[in-house]
Amino acid sequence: MEYGPPPLFNQGVSARARLAFFSLVAAALIIVDAQVNALDAIRNGVEILLFPVQRVLLWPRDLALDVGDYLSTLGSLNEENARLRLLAVEQAKLAQQAAQLQLENDQLRKLAGVRDRVNVPAQMVVALYESRDAFSRKIVIDRGRNDGMRAGFPVIDEAGVVGQVTRVFPLTSEVTLLTDKEQSLPVQIARNGLRAVAFGGQEPMTLELRFLPANADIENGDSVVTSGLDGIYPAGMPVATVLHVDRDVKDQFARVVLKPVAGMSRSRLLLVLLADPPPLVPAAEGARGGASGNVRGDRAAAKAVRR
Amino acid sequence: MRSLWQRLGGERLETASASLRPPTVGRSVRPEQVLRPVRPAFIWATLGGAFLLNLLPWGHAIWVPDFFALTLVFWNVHQPRKVGMGIAFVFGLLMDVHNGALFGEHALAYTLLSYGAISLHRRIQWFPAGSQSIYVMGLLLIAQLASAAVRLWVGGATPYWWLGLLSSALGAALWPFLTALLLSPQRRPAKRDDTRPL
Repeated sequence: MEYGPPPLFNQGVSARARLAFFSLVAAALIIVDAQVNALDAIRNGVEILLFPVQRVLLWPRDLALDVGDYLSTLGSLNEENARLRLLAVEQAKLAQQAAQLQLENDQLRKLAGVRDRVNVPAQMVVALYESRDAFSRKIVIDRGRNDGMRAGFPVIDEAGVVGQVTRVFPLTSEVTLLTDKEQSLPVQIARNGLRAVAFGGQEPMTLELRFLPANADIENGDSVVTSGLDGIYPAGMPVATVLHVDRDVKDQFARVVLKPVAGMSRSRLLLVLLADPPPLVPAAEGARGGASGNVRGDRAAAKAVRR
Repeated sequence: MRSLWQRLGGERLETASASLRPPTVGRSVRPEQVLRPVRPAFIWATLGGAFLLNLLPWGHAIWVPDFFALTLVFWNVHQPRKVGMGIAFVFGLLMDVHNGALFGEHALAYTLLSYGAISLHRRIQWFPAGSQSIYVMGLLLIAQLASAAVRLWVGGATPYWWLGLLSSALGAALWPFLTALLLSPQRRPAKRDDTRPL
């Protein structure tokens, strides 16, 4: 076959025609995918096909990690054990206080006539891999629509907020990290309750607060927590600490750079809060109002409404 | 085979075979080996293997070369009649789903890559593998910039996205090794010779 003569006349479709055809199809797919969610069925199908392969390919890494854990030295284990015991004692104290405070709080809330805080159920998930993409910060977790995942659920780890489920496949889901430049959430400074919106930062692995006046009361080391205004993230969850504040005289706004407290790409065990996002207002005012917690540009806002 | 070729050295041997490289005339005459026909199963196995390499959890290491793109270019250059743009397109779609990218982003990049490789395949084969990698780097860069352009159009720039272009350079650096590896089955002698290892 190889040494047979090449077809002289019947060459098939020319390379340029093929290029034009496939590029047009690809461009059409890109435009459709960027504007509407019409391709999710195809995407889901492909993901189901890929899923077993992806899982098998994760085995070597998981095996290496497990072997690493197994071979970890006695010293490091002892150290970790001591640290955890200390932590347990500290947390036991806090837990006892928390029970008492909870009681007190309930009574006070009843007295004040405030609506009870809802206790959101949560689901433990494992981060499978981080998507290799220079333009976004996403991780893929091992639970999908079949396990009750839905786009919009907040994701946390033991230290604080990690991100938000943004796309759901039948067996896996994509979580967009807070450090993604398209992600944003309403926060407040824990020290003084100053409200702001945190966006993915310019530098990798940072967040930033935008639209704060240059004389805002923020100091390095301030801890930033969720404000709960979006109705998605419960209020008071740790998000980040202030790394530095730029108060440029020329600029109207302060530039505040934050360092997220959650492990971001490091932690593997995560918790998805099964809190339904509040019903979205129709596109016109709902998108701009940041009802979904994603205050973004026009196109992105339209996307948020569709979710 | 090789001595026969050298004896024929001066003559222009016209042949229709695609894999037979044109004899080098002039200053530096490199002895060229006549390659054996490639097995389609081998092409598919290597393409699939390279795709699996891409699926490994590389995390946010965007400098890791795109193994599939590299293998695709290789087969486009060496077997343009067997591996074309359709394969590139389909694997591109799979890659998009895995990376959570826009549907069609990698498909577009791989299609462009494939077209470039196919239209340059006769020229590229004239050069030794080291020089070929410069062409390959150009092709990979064009494909990467195409997909970057799509992302910039849709979502705006991320700081340091251009660090990803390193992966093209690393991919090109891998090219000579890839060539040696993927051509080795075709370089086997027709009859098994116990005195030679391969």
